[in-house]
Amino acid sequence: MAQHNGAEALRCENVHKTYQGGEIALKGVSITADKKEFVGLIGLSGSGKSTLLRCINRLVEPDSGKIFLGDKEITSLNKKQLKLMRRDIGMIFQEFNLINRMTVLQNILSGRLGYVPLWRSTLRKFADEDLEKAVEISELVGMKPYLHKRADALSGGQRQRVGIARALIQGPRLLLVDEPTSSLDPAIGRDVMKEVRRISKELGVPVLISIHDVNLALDFADRIVAMRDGEVISEGEAGEFNQKRLEDIYQYKI
Amino acid sequence: MAELESVIPKKSNLKRNIWLLAFALVFVWSVWGIFVVETKWSNVGTIAQVLRAIARFFPPNWGYVLELGQATFDTFLIGLLGTFLSLVLSIPVAWFAAHNISPFVPICYPVGRFIMTISRSVHEVVWALIFVAALGLGPFAGILALSLRSIGFVSKMTAEQIEDIDYRPIEAIRAAGGSRIDEILWGIIPQILPQFIGTAIFQWDINIRRATIIGIVGGGGLGLLFSIKMQAYQYSDATAVLVAILVLVLAGEYISTKLRSMIS
Repeated sequence: MAQHNGAEALRCENVHKTYQGGEIALKGVSITADKKEFVGLIGLSGSGKSTLLRCINRLVEPDSGKIFLGDKEITSLNKKQLKLMRRDIGMIFQEFNLINRMTVLQNILSGRLGYVPLWRSTLRKFADEDLEKAVEISELVGMKPYLHKRADALSGGQRQRVGIARALIQGPRLLLVDEPTSSLDPAIGRDVMKEVRRISKELGVPVLISIHDVNLALDFADRIVAMRDGEVISEGEAGEFNQKRLEDIYQYKI
Repeated sequence: MAELESVIPKKSNLKRNIWLLAFALVFVWSVWGIFVVETKWSNVGTIAQVLRAIARFFPPNWGYVLELGQATFDTFLIGLLGTFLSLVLSIPVAWFAAHNISPFVPICYPVGRFIMTISRSVHEVVWALIFVAALGLGPFAGILALSLRSIGFVSKMTAEQIEDIDYRPIEAIRAAGGSRIDEILWGIIPQILPQFIGTAIFQWDINIRRATIIGIVGGGGLGLLFSIKMQAYQYSDATAVLVAILVLVLAGEYISTKLRSMIS
């Protein structure tokens, strides 16, 4: 078991998950991510990457194992504590998960819902400082000109930028990114990866990103964790992954 | 030929003929029951008498147009308020009866479904008779009757829309630390609101029609006026009421169609 040290932002210890119906998704996964580290989770679909990400913020409840963010154990939190903890973990989704009928601004602000009291959520009336932050972050991801456009009027790349902005306005200590490029054209997917990496380095936020496109993972991640059938099968600096090693991981000629 | 029949077997017409025969028998039996046994032909007048009876309804009497206008307005308001009340009452019913957000499925879900079924299976005239008996003649009984009758449809449509929502935005709200209420306010309501408004307008249109009918059994407005005129043998007055009903219903339908095309 990895010793706890101050440089680790995220630590998962021996996480197991079996879905109802008997599908075993995770068979004792242990990983860590250092502060400011950009970690790419690679592996075939069905290898457990998305489940692992969702166990970290407990959108999927792990069966056993421990997960720490900093020195707080996420897996032992009660419902109320979990909600507070989730504010510190931004998530970016494969299919953007935006509220289609709302504007870019409202979608970005929805990242603040964990902070605001019920009346503000009901009236959709946010404090000026939240609005200022939303505008600032929209500029960071290049969406400032579209603040009042409805989310369903945007292109895929723009939607993912809104998704990124929504995660950032939480003020996260960790970003979980689930296949951010799979719903996008290759060139736009690459732009989005660039953007996520730039921002994470700028803000000093560690990133755990699941990505089945090996080339993108190698180009952007500091460290690679490879999974197969719910287990970590290989792990190391991105530069250490040569063709031979990747072919072993994917059991396929690349 | 034999080869063709092995691929496409000839169908027997026996079954179809039995059905046709059964249908013909039921039809003859019905006609016999209604027109031979039940009708007292001695009470039915000659064609001339029938025409004369119809002629008493013409021309419509517009001499009491103010009273008529008041009744038309009442019926309009009964339809509007009945619909509005039903929308409010439908929200908790839909919440209970939508399987995916029902607060406690084993109890709340069947309760919600039961309210829906009762509301829809009791006719608006029966609801009106119940409330007229409980509250006396007038618009208030009509409004309650309409709203109770409408809960079923509105809540059923709304519950189905809630069950069909896209969960992805809800997942995002949950991941950001949002509460269950945030999920409903930001994830569910924006998704179902346009359909809910469409359902409401559709129901309002129907309720204008219903408001005239339940008026006849005491729910107020044009229907009540119509039954009063008929009982007083003031047939040309009654015709004016019918024209007013026609105009109101057509206007309602026109507005409803316009509004619904605006939201979609």
